[in-house]
Amino acid sequence: MYVEDDPDIRAIAEIALQDVGGFTARLCESGAQALAVAPAFGPELVLLDVMMPGMDGPETLQALRELPDMGHVPVIFMTARLQRSEIDEYRALGAVGVIPKPFDPMTLAEQIAEILARARMEP
Amino acid sequence: MASQESSDVAAKLAALRQKFLVRANEDIQILRDYAEQTRRGELSAEGLIQCYQQLHRLAGSAGTFGLPELGVAARTLEKKLKSQAEDLAEGGAGRSQSVDVDTDFAEGVDALARLVEVRSEYQDPVSTPVQRSDVFEGSHGMQVSVIVMENGDDGLTALASEMARYGFNCRNVDRREPEAVHQVLADTSGAAAILCQDSDLADVMALRNRAQAKGLRRRLPVICIGRDGSFENKYHLAKLGAFAFFPEPLDIPELAERIESLAIERSAGVQGRVLIVEDDTELAEHYCLVLQSAGIEARTVSAPLDLMSTLSAFQPDIVLMDVQIGGYSGVTLARLIRFEPRWLSLPIIYLSSEDDPDNQLEALSKGADEFLMKPVSDDYLVRSVRIRCYRARQLSELMNRDSLTGLLKHSLIKQEVEKELARCRRDGHPSSVVMLDLDHFKQINDTWGHRYGDIVIRTLANLLRNRLRETDMIGRYGGEEFLVVLPHCPVSAAAELIQSIGESFAELAFSAGDTAFQVTLSAGIAAINDFTNGDDALEAADQALYQQKRNGRNGVTVYTLQ
Repeated sequence: MYVEDDPDIRAIAEIALQDVGGFTARLCESGAQALAVAPAFGPELVLLDVMMPGMDGPETLQALRELPDMGHVPVIFMTARLQRSEIDEYRALGAVGVIPKPFDPMTLAEQIAEILARARMEP
Repeated sequence: MASQESSDVAAKLAALRQKFLVRANEDIQILRDYAEQTRRGELSAEGLIQCYQQLHRLAGSAGTFGLPELGVAARTLEKKLKSQAEDLAEGGAGRSQSVDVDTDFAEGVDALARLVEVRSEYQDPVSTPVQRSDVFEGSHGMQVSVIVMENGDDGLTALASEMARYGFNCRNVDRREPEAVHQVLADTSGAAAILCQDSDLADVMALRNRAQAKGLRRRLPVICIGRDGSFENKYHLAKLGAFAFFPEPLDIPELAERIESLAIERSAGVQGRVLIVEDDTELAEHYCLVLQSAGIEARTVSAPLDLMSTLSAFQPDIVLMDVQIGGYSGVTLARLIRFEPRWLSLPIIYLSSEDDPDNQLEALSKGADEFLMKPVSDDYLVRSVRIRCYRARQLSELMNRDSLTGLLKHSLIKQEVEKELARCRRDGHPSSVVMLDLDHFKQINDTWGHRYGDIVIRTLANLLRNRLRETDMIGRYGGEEFLVVLPHCPVSAAAELIQSIGESFAELAFSAGDTAFQVTLSAGIAAINDFTNGDDALEAADQALYQQKRNGRNGVTVYTLQ
């Protein structure tokens, strides 16, 4: 599941995840929509844009964790402002990783795979 | 079908990029309006926040749509506005009041607009993203970055400017400032290497590893320099994890070459191209996805009738062939492939089920390269395909590339001129061909010996690779002659580009013993489109080169039609 307010980025992310990466992807335009869609879709991974109007990325994550079965789904933040303090902050919120924007549509899936592999290595 | 799908991906991406370009243009127009307001001193606080958000969006998205320069420029502007915008956003009140903004801001916005406009001139058209990788994968097009970790009191600063002259993108950073180091490591994308003093190696390795733990994906090679060339010192450095050691006084061309090869070896690139011949479309699709997700380009053919045309269009490194494809035998198809001389050395690997041992034997006796047993696990498939692609590429590199420079050999670069002419005719874009020649090269060999002549030739090859785009093709045409094909590049732009490369080259000092010498180059350029065949275009570039030689060398001449 990829939550992102910019429709162009959503379109390219859909290709990056589905066509290139081979995932089954569901794109959401806002945190609120993500919360509504998540229980039925049952995502195995959630990608969250940090800066969104309304509910931002971190807020969406917190609300998501309250939903049934969503307590341990890995979450990755997508952000254009990559500072160390920020990464630490997101980690503390329970994200498994952060992918800097702009991302490369041809290697996004690989980046995700690496983050998940690393997360599995760490206890 | 999966082959359909991968070209679909390319087409979809191209369409989205096109759409994004339109949107970026609109966004920039809005920014320009705001920039005008700042020039008149009328920009409101609300407007400034709008600008900030607009820039943030561009910074985060342009790279994804193939416009990294635009993204970087927008990021720089965004940073300039950051503190002001955040203060205003928190202040809340007085949003319609006008605010003072630095004058650079308006100029920065104008620069953004130019970036979007320039794109259509020199850069490749956004509509052909897939074709780019299918010609030759080379290091060029990707400028190699060198991160110089200084410690305040050594000669590394001078070295950085020296490396910059070789076409590297040099970034100096003080290794005693971990924050700055981390920032530089995070900002540097593409092929890169780290350079440091040997006494600093332990600290530098620690910094690099820490950056990696913080989410950076790449493990950049570290090269150290120092005075102590003893075995003990080198062993110590190797143990710490250095990739290379260069004793002072430095052999600069050698160092440049090592940086280039180390950085490129490690940068992510396409890892290979695989054609899957399989009539079970679901299975084929599955293999295709597995390979693609590992970064390997894959395409499938399910109808043997399409096999030959797909081979020439896709030009795979290896073929995975099912032993039986409907009514056709894979073994016979493999033989048919070899009817064409260009596919004589193409590795063909059979996918075979364990229950048909007779087929296997027959295939082996007919010269099959290898078998993969079905069912193949995903992991095994990726690993075995990757290693075979790698070997196949190494082999074709050896056959197609000049051993001294790693550039394309004479006959191949000549073919590229013909191919580019055909593409120009088809799409109507302008392209240039450049003939380059080192000035007074015989004197270099006579005065300093062939070893130095070779260094000069290799150095020029590396400079060209660093300065040209990945879609440009570079070949060694003769002894000291080089041939460059610049697609989507009118002669005027080509002349400017080659002129500046020539100037950089002339600045390089080659040290021989106690003295140093410099070398200049001459170039002749012709517009490929002006000619009916490639040989004539080459002839014209050669004539222009000859003219430049007569007019005193060291410069560029463009061929003019009589």
